[in-house]
Amino acid sequence: MINGPKIYFTIPILGGIPITATAVSSFLVTVILCVAGVLLGRNLKKRPGRMQVLTEKGVGMLYDLVESTMGKHNSYWTPYIGALFLSSILGTLIGMTGFLRSTTSDLSTTLTWAIMTSFLCWGCTIKNAGIGAFLKNYINPMNIISDIAQPVSMAFRHFGNIMGGGVLTSLLYMALSSVSAIVIGLIRSNGLVVSIIVFAIGVALLAFGFLKKKLAAKIFGALIALLGLASTLEVLGTVTGIPVLALGIPGVLSIYFDLFSGFVQALVFSLLTMVYVGMACPPPEGE
Amino acid sequence: MDGFEAIIGVNPWTALFTLLNMIITFLILGKFLFKPVKKMIDDRQKEIDDAYAEADKAKSDAQELKAEYQRHLDSAKSERDDIIKEAVVTAGKRSDEIVAEARRDADAIRDKAERDIAQEKKKAMNEVKSSIAGISLEIAEKVCEKEIDEGKHRALIEDFVNKMGEAS
Repeated sequence: MINGPKIYFTIPILGGIPITATAVSSFLVTVILCVAGVLLGRNLKKRPGRMQVLTEKGVGMLYDLVESTMGKHNSYWTPYIGALFLSSILGTLIGMTGFLRSTTSDLSTTLTWAIMTSFLCWGCTIKNAGIGAFLKNYINPMNIISDIAQPVSMAFRHFGNIMGGGVLTSLLYMALSSVSAIVIGLIRSNGLVVSIIVFAIGVALLAFGFLKKKLAAKIFGALIALLGLASTLEVLGTVTGIPVLALGIPGVLSIYFDLFSGFVQALVFSLLTMVYVGMACPPPEGE
Repeated sequence: MDGFEAIIGVNPWTALFTLLNMIITFLILGKFLFKPVKKMIDDRQKEIDDAYAEADKAKSDAQELKAEYQRHLDSAKSERDDIIKEAVVTAGKRSDEIVAEARRDADAIRDKAERDIAQEKKKAMNEVKSSIAGISLEIAEKVCEKEIDEGKHRALIEDFVNKMGEAS
């Protein structure tokens, strides 16, 4: 994760087109979204089933969000905002599978989306206010800087949050692996008997936890039992280097960094897009 | 297995793929998910609104009908009252007429009867007068055993009888 996206292979045309992990995930996200969208949008009935109620709820929420942020006259932007939001969320969550990389932890993705937003803004300004007004805006050169800063800040915000979360999770995983290696080394240096005793203590604590229904006792019991088991196995020379402490704990962090942060960043990115495009598409005169 | 991209860097091909994927996602989701679902929601909303409007209309219609029936009922009641009043008046007038007619008839009958009675009485009186006069003459003849000047005495007796009749 601390590396950039892996290049799986390079298509040897046009000077070599590299297919990166991000591109693969991106294609997968597109396929999943399109298939799910077509499946959910099929067979709509006046009297909806369970799935249709959920679909309508979700689509309705997106429409409400867009209409409340951009105004009723910009309701037609919902498909784009929705596609952006869903691509962002699914692109982040797809990193949780473990073997695929989050599309949003690649600057190529977020910068592309941010530049799309900028182009949409410019297009809307030209369409609504005319090219003269668009160009007149740049008499003040600060606006050029702000127009450049806007997509860059959007792109780096989204990319940084997801990438940072991934890096943190990886660092924690590595740290916990080394800690567990040290602890196991400490136990095994005292010989087989101590390892077995540690294992027994862990099992006892686990059993106590189950009997008394205490969550903490269960967790620590399982941890100590696994440490003892790992040291025993290492003393016996069967397997080595099991990162016992790295089991499960990074997952808790992942819930924050991938689920929560992914959702928040998708929302922030969509909201910023809505605000910028909404400003470029003011309500029609006389409303 | 050609290695890795830079961690903070933009690969133009990946960016192009992302752009294409985004456009594809946007088009397909818009065409197959957002627009149909939105249309369905709006249609249903419209249907519900229509149903409510229809129900409201039906309710107001019913109330109007009720008011109209009430009005009809009221007018029918007042009409009935009028008819009864008129009938009572007519009946009273008719009964008065009948009574008056009956009284007139009765008066006529009584007058006629009185006239008849008076006539009969007169006739009877005349008969009685003449018979009393005759009888008196005969009695007087018998009493006197002599011829009485019939012409002279008849006038005398008739005068007496008349006076008696007037006195009675």
